[in-house]
Amino acid sequence: MGTAPPEKKPAPLLAGVTHVLAIASGKGGVGKSTLATNLACAIRQTGATVGLLDADIYGPSIPKMIGALQPPLQATDTQQLIPWERHGLHVMSLGFMLTQDAPVIWRGPMVHNVLRQFLQQVAWGTLDYLLIDLPPGTGDAQLTITQMVPLSGAVIVTTPQEVSIHIASRGLTMFGQVNVPVLGFVENMSHFVCPHCQQETAIFRRGGTRKAAEIYEVPFLGEVPIDPQVTLDGDRGMPTVLAHPESAAAGAYRAIADQLIAALVRRAPRHAAPALELTWQPPTPSN
Amino acid sequence: MATAHPIQLTQYAHATLGVTWSDGHESRYDVRTLRLACHCAACVDEMTGERRFPDSSVPDNIHPLQIKSAGQYALHIRWSDGHQSGLVRFDELRAWCGCGGCS
Repeated sequence: MGTAPPEKKPAPLLAGVTHVLAIASGKGGVGKSTLATNLACAIRQTGATVGLLDADIYGPSIPKMIGALQPPLQATDTQQLIPWERHGLHVMSLGFMLTQDAPVIWRGPMVHNVLRQFLQQVAWGTLDYLLIDLPPGTGDAQLTITQMVPLSGAVIVTTPQEVSIHIASRGLTMFGQVNVPVLGFVENMSHFVCPHCQQETAIFRRGGTRKAAEIYEVPFLGEVPIDPQVTLDGDRGMPTVLAHPESAAAGAYRAIADQLIAALVRRAPRHAAPALELTWQPPTPSN
Repeated sequence: MATAHPIQLTQYAHATLGVTWSDGHESRYDVRTLRLACHCAACVDEMTGERRFPDSSVPDNIHPLQIKSAGQYALHIRWSDGHQSGLVRFDELRAWCGCGGCS
């Protein structure tokens, strides 16, 4: 009989990641994943190492947007999944593991388990930034991520319609309650520039997000115009920042990335509560 | 952040948790009182707000097994009676500080 092996203490979660950022929205369909992918590429272009975690378990769209539908994922010796490297980004998504068109029909606890595995059992390694593309709303995924990960901050994406901005304010309240700083609002689909006459049209009314940012006293990080090319680029797996760096949309993504990095510099890394852990020493039995 | 957050957790004797806060304040908590204060859905009826069990059902010698941060806003405590579904938010924990200065 030997002595029990010493208990191996797991490394702190995402210990090698300097900044973990959540990309969030209240409403679905505001272009959050497109923004997350392009922001990740724009930040990567500054020379930083960047990871991208697709936390939209029910509707993972990152694989399509980066052009890696079912890559041959591999594991480390310690059975950690290695993120797929694409466009210089380290990416993980449930979509990598699904056969095409297979729906994910799961209840909340399963979503929690998968996200936990993506945080604990993926070899994220050393990264300057890990962007987490959240599903819309304020539900299971948001709770899991905010309870497990010391986030540096969140970016809330909206479109100019009042309904989108109104729901985004709920996200703002949620992040406030869990002490995650909201680094700013981004207005997607803010306007359309006619390729023929260059006239700008505010299809969904422009500027509402900027006004909301003022009301809620949240930084306004920028606006991204509607550009059919962004959709085409996303569909062929080549983010616009890389495919059409000269476009107005790519310029907007880069400007937002710069604003975001500046906002993080103004805050100390992991600005807030340190991850604490205390194992209680029980009283010795008296009889 | 509006609320101070814990920067250190310390066990004192068998039944007292010490919390050092980011603003320098120090609080001490009786752990059984913390267990009784749990307001998770398993402990408190969501509709009536009433506790689902009498105080007497919680052993006098109850103690945490482990205390860990939950994100940046709460502590998660695993208890010796098997309970582990509750979170204690930093703001409420601070509000429960019973030191002379706070109370």
